[in-house]
Amino acid sequence: MSLNDDAKNAVMTYNNKKAVEVAKKAVAENADIVELIEKGFSAGMTEVGALFEAKKVYLPHVMAAAAAMNAAMDVLNPELEKRGAEVSAGLGTVVICTIEGDIHSIGKDIVAIMLKVAGFKVENIGRDVPLDQIVDACKKYKPVAVGTSALMTSTMVHQKTFEEKLKAAGIRDSLLTNVGGAPVTQQWADEIGADLYTENASDAAAKFTAAFEKK
Amino acid sequence: MTEYYTRMGDGRRVTMTKEQIMNDIQAGTADAADMASIPALNANDIEHMCEIIMDQSRVVGVEPGHEVVMTYDIGQLDFTGDNGNSGNGVDMGRLEAALLHERALGADTFELAHSDYSIKPVKPVISMEMQTMEEIQAEIIAPYFYGAMPNMGLYYAPDGPYGNPADLMREFKIEESMASSEAAAEHLARDIEFVTTRLQAAGSDGFNFDTTGSAGDADFVGTLNGVKKLRELCPEAYINVGAAGESVMGIHGMIEFEGEIAAGLYPHQQAQLVAKAGANVFGAVCNTNTSRSLAWNLGRAVTFIKKAVEDSPIPVHVDMGMGVGGIPMFETPPLDAVARCNKAMVEIAKVDGV
Repeated sequence: MSLNDDAKNAVMTYNNKKAVEVAKKAVAENADIVELIEKGFSAGMTEVGALFEAKKVYLPHVMAAAAAMNAAMDVLNPELEKRGAEVSAGLGTVVICTIEGDIHSIGKDIVAIMLKVAGFKVENIGRDVPLDQIVDACKKYKPVAVGTSALMTSTMVHQKTFEEKLKAAGIRDSLLTNVGGAPVTQQWADEIGADLYTENASDAAAKFTAAFEKK
Repeated sequence: MTEYYTRMGDGRRVTMTKEQIMNDIQAGTADAADMASIPALNANDIEHMCEIIMDQSRVVGVEPGHEVVMTYDIGQLDFTGDNGNSGNGVDMGRLEAALLHERALGADTFELAHSDYSIKPVKPVISMEMQTMEEIQAEIIAPYFYGAMPNMGLYYAPDGPYGNPADLMREFKIEESMASSEAAAEHLARDIEFVTTRLQAAGSDGFNFDTTGSAGDADFVGTLNGVKKLRELCPEAYINVGAAGESVMGIHGMIEFEGEIAAGLYPHQQAQLVAKAGANVFGAVCNTNTSRSLAWNLGRAVTFIKKAVEDSPIPVHVDMGMGVGGIPMFETPPLDAVARCNKAMVEIAKVDGV
């Protein structure tokens, strides 16, 4: 098996030790680390994400896979810096949260992980986050996109108010807005003027990547 | 080409041709069949469902003699709750609401419920709930239960003593997250025993566990352990266990009930465990996708429920309301959609009750 296959396998079997071993071996052999990350570790995470969407594996498995990938990245990041290499990161920062009044966070956290895997820097600012606080986070982190999740019809209305607050703060045109959550639809996104509607974590990773790879 | 008035999963009005409706039913049933590895609806079922959806009448119903048992969850709150709680905002006492359901709305069973509608908040007011149960039992004729959600989320921080698995997993503390789920499930089972046995002592005809598994697989297992205990202690209790969704969410991932991993179980599999725990009725659920049509959602929901009815050793009363059973996710679901989904569940899925 190639290093890429070993890396993918380590992630898909949630094996932190093996993931670190593969990463160390790649560094020692002066292998192409960017390719190892993209075609090995990230590819494994993408497959775990697909299995999760198909309800073949569950949240702890996704987290365990992400933990294995993170363990490998701890080894690879210093080497990447030393070589001046860049992974397809640099897709930008995304601020993500569950909107004011809503405490549901699991779906939003999964989206955060999948966006990280896709190459975004994710600022996950929590759940039940007041709208002004989200605007402040957008000013602070200067994200390329901001995603809000609403799991209730009574809280999704805040997504509309949030659009207005971004306009009032003068930063609406500097980022894309994304809405998600069980009652949220494409029609709702169109109605309130949000840029992206995403149905689940895989959909979010695909649409965000498509939106920012184009730019 | 003729277009038929129908709905999207968020309640929006749309029109579709017969071909579009048939395509969506086929896609919905295929999705369920693929997810749960169960049979898709056959050609006759799909044609029948299409006819139900295309019916020009605003309200449809089953033929006389084919009526099924009608029971209600959430107790009086569907009257007294406000619109955000899928209620009508009509203030009345719990006795009046119970009698209204029995005598005016034709409810075959009804339940007493606390406004928080969860097991845990009933504990501090158990004496008041017992007194109210006794008072209403003296007036009502229909079987009268107590109802609450297991709602294991209330046992996690910040509302309860155990670490929140969502937070722990975000920090990659996966084993701690699992241990927390297990501890909460044990606590939930103890609370179920405390609450249910006291209400049975006050004259309740039984207990309705609503939205079981809403906090994931450990919630599902904790509830079934509570049900098992209730069955042991109160063999005469009539127990209804309603699910939270078509698939048990794997927040723990490996927790078991009677040797069976709960995560990822579909309605036909959930029914087996619910029966094993000692319940009398299984409330099967399929959630609505707001971005898809009523035809897609109903095709999908009936596929899951039909298989559950076929396989279940106990009667299946399908959960039909806001955002479940093909019905749009809308505070006050449109009557045309509610009637069509109910008719399809009775005539195609052959449910025992609603």
